[in-house]
Amino acid sequence: MIIHVNVWYTLISYILAVGFAVITGLILRLPLLPERPMRRSWTVSAIFPTAVLALGFTAMVFGLGYEGTGYRGMLIGIFVGILTALFCRFLLEKVVPKPKSEELHE
Amino acid sequence: MNEILAVAVAAVISWLNFVLVDTWMGLPEAPGVKGADVIGRSIKERGGDLAGGFFQGNIVCSPDASAGTILAAVACYAIGTPEGGFIAAVLVYFGNRMCADPGYAGTTGALTMTCIIAATSLIGFTPAEFVVGMLIAIVTIQGLYHQGSSRLLGKIAKKMGRYTKLT
Repeated sequence: MIIHVNVWYTLISYILAVGFAVITGLILRLPLLPERPMRRSWTVSAIFPTAVLALGFTAMVFGLGYEGTGYRGMLIGIFVGILTALFCRFLLEKVVPKPKSEELHE
Repeated sequence: MNEILAVAVAAVISWLNFVLVDTWMGLPEAPGVKGADVIGRSIKERGGDLAGGFFQGNIVCSPDASAGTILAAVACYAIGTPEGGFIAAVLVYFGNRMCADPGYAGTTGALTMTCIIAATSLIGFTPAEFVVGMLIAIVTIQGLYHQGSSRLLGKIAKKMGRYTKLT
């Protein structure tokens, strides 16, 4: 099986997006993981949803036509990762707020 | 690869993906919203299992791993693998948050399905076969016989330690 070099560049771009999102999230004092049991936690952490959103937002940028080839793709990954962490720290709770206690998904 | 066989295998894989992820994330344990509670108790009254009913109610009321699985397959078909799957995970996450759900089951289901589609593409499976397979899988849970499917989901929940404590 031959994997084209561009695929590796794209893969590295995703890894950089996740890595920078987690590191920036930790710098912004987001917890690394939600408290246990995690499946019921509403805490915004560096791993969930920051890393997942970083992956998705990077994919959206690549899907819109900004090809993740070469160093440009890596820079996009880093940029999107940092922006995602800022979004999760300051805006996420305002865009999709935690519901009132009687509506919570237990 | 024979397409009918591929769809059948994709249906089994999709079924296992969303049922195991949803059960692991605790869907049978409690209804997330009032609608899920009503569906669960209605299924129990008709001879089904309460935990399985809560599972079925929860996947109706918010986009859990079932929605993540099918959205990931559709997005991989429309946009490409793995970009589509990652985009689907983000969309499912925001959908979850709007439905009073923290979003773990939906995003996990979308990401695991993306990995499965990427891995099985190496042996000839296509995202289109997973779209059809997932439709068949969800029909077996939600569309054929609620009492039977809820009892099966209840047994799986018991095995995985996620059976409801409610009565």
